[in-house]
Amino acid sequence: MALKMETRNQMPKRIVEDKVLRFSAGERLSHWVHAISFFVLLFTGLGVLSTSFQPAMAIFGGIQVAQLIHRIAAIFFVVVVGLMFFVGNPRYHWRWLKFVFSFKKSDWQHVCAFPKEFFGGHGNYPEQEKYNGGEKINSLITIFGTIFITLSGVVMWFASSFPPALVRWAYPVHDLSMFIMTAAAIGHIYLGLLHPDSRAAMSGMINGYVSTKFARAHHREWYERLKKEQSMNEQKNV
Amino acid sequence: MARKTVLIDTSLCTGCKACSVACKEWNELSAEKTQLLTSYQTQNAFTTKTWTYMTFVEKYEDQKMNWFMRKAQCFHCADPACMKACSSNAITKTESGYVVIDQEKCIGCGYCVENCPFGVPKVDQVKKKSYKCTGCIDRVENNLLPACVNTCQPGALSFGERDAMLTQAKKRLAEVQKTHPKAQLYGEKEMGGTTYLYLLLDSPEVYDLPVNPTVPLSLTLWKDVIRPVGTVAVGGAAAAVVLGVFANLFRGNYSNSDNKEGGKD
Ligand code: HEM
Ligand code: SF4
Ligand code: SF4
Repeated sequence: MALKMETRNQMPKRIVEDKVLRFSAGERLSHWVHAISFFVLLFTGLGVLSTSFQPAMAIFGGIQVAQLIHRIAAIFFVVVVGLMFFVGNPRYHWRWLKFVFSFKKSDWQHVCAFPKEFFGGHGNYPEQEKYNGGEKINSLITIFGTIFITLSGVVMWFASSFPPALVRWAYPVHDLSMFIMTAAAIGHIYLGLLHPDSRAAMSGMINGYVSTKFARAHHREWYERLKKEQSMNEQKNV
Repeated sequence: MARKTVLIDTSLCTGCKACSVACKEWNELSAEKTQLLTSYQTQNAFTTKTWTYMTFVEKYEDQKMNWFMRKAQCFHCADPACMKACSSNAITKTESGYVVIDQEKCIGCGYCVENCPFGVPKVDQVKKKSYKCTGCIDRVENNLLPACVNTCQPGALSFGERDAMLTQAKKRLAEVQKTHPKAQLYGEKEMGGTTYLYLLLDSPEVYDLPVNPTVPLSLTLWKDVIRPVGTVAVGGAAAAVVLGVFANLFRGNYSNSDNKEGGKD
């Protein structure tokens, strides 16, 4: 239902019984294309980064093939996600950007309480909107990491078309972005799969919905706003 | 084997190009089609099959032409940027001062190409292997002169122990400076002291050589700072996750029914 409305560019109903629609089909597609290509890029890149990973490249049929796969995966990594900002129903993608670039005091308060939550304790922080402070930081790392790793990667790919002084700087930029994004991804996967309190969010990236209970517990400000908007819409439609 | 040195005394060079032919012959490098770029110069860059070539610079001063000739090849640096940059430990430095690429290990990433301050190594895009002057290490280790040195008729190239060659170079320099006051040695200190040492007749710029060649700052930052710090950061993130799982187990958070449904209200 939600998917059908989405492709017709209509807003589906956000709260359905005990579930809340958190991510559109387009957002989920972007997330998984980016995630899978990220790991393909990381794995094939490691074959170039260190000789200790080189024997593992036999999986692909050797380092030469791994280098080629790195370039093909890079195209998916950038082009698919980039296109989603313009085709289909891009509204959700732009809205995500708007959310993560507005970093407020309540976000800082969440970030300060975050280490405690990470290790299973209970931190105190104000009610959060759709994305909490930690999620915003993860998104910002993804956005800027992707920009820097892509620009440096293009320079490394077409090295002979750029001045050596620029190519020389692309290497440390590519590696630095890779290290930051990988560290962030490790924490991100833990929170999505292994953290007892936050892994309930996972369904949002699979079928789009999270439980109202989760929404109320973790993103009360968001949930209350959706509830208000929905009842206003219903009144209008009567 | 103690440190060797090849002295290239440009004051004695006649620009005959025999060295580049000897190099091609010994290393079985096929000839390439070239054309005149200036009045005598036919090449201005290394290729996978040209490991040494001659440069000719014509400089006019006081209505007089000065002709500067130089045999270009890998310097075989004591502190080689190419070796530091190599992704695959394919480049090594011998005790005798030679920097050699092992094509078996090379993956053709081109990191050496981009980081050498002199633009020496070149990657064969079909074979995906990097090539450059070997210093004729195969000859030197068998007590033969490098092919270029062996062939040079006017004695512009000479080979020997480093100390002896430095003494010879300084003696020649004092001599040459009488007619060329700007003459200088190049490679005594540059890049940690290069195995191919030049006696130039003018400043390095005149020969299109960098005045102060160094291991690029970006390379040092990449390999000595970002690599180790980044590895520790990723390891730290993984350790935090393991700790997080145990902390949650210890607190009994995995069996808490509230959590299963998405958290406490
Ligand atoms: C998005 C566009 C990207 C492009 C165009 C790109 C391109 C490249 C290129 C051309 C190289 C040089 C090595 C070779 O010749 O194969 C390289 C190396 C590498 N890439 Fe990427 N890459 C991209 C994204 C990524 C991502 C997302 C990661 C990891 C998360 C990554 C990790 C690496 C690593 C680890 C290396 C080896 C670097 C080293 O030797 O230190 N790349 N990349
Ligand atoms: S001149 Fe370039 S290729 Fe030769 S040893 Fe020095 S850095 Fe390496
Ligand atoms: S091209 Fe070969 S020799 Fe040069 S840095 Fe890459 S692996 Fe090393």
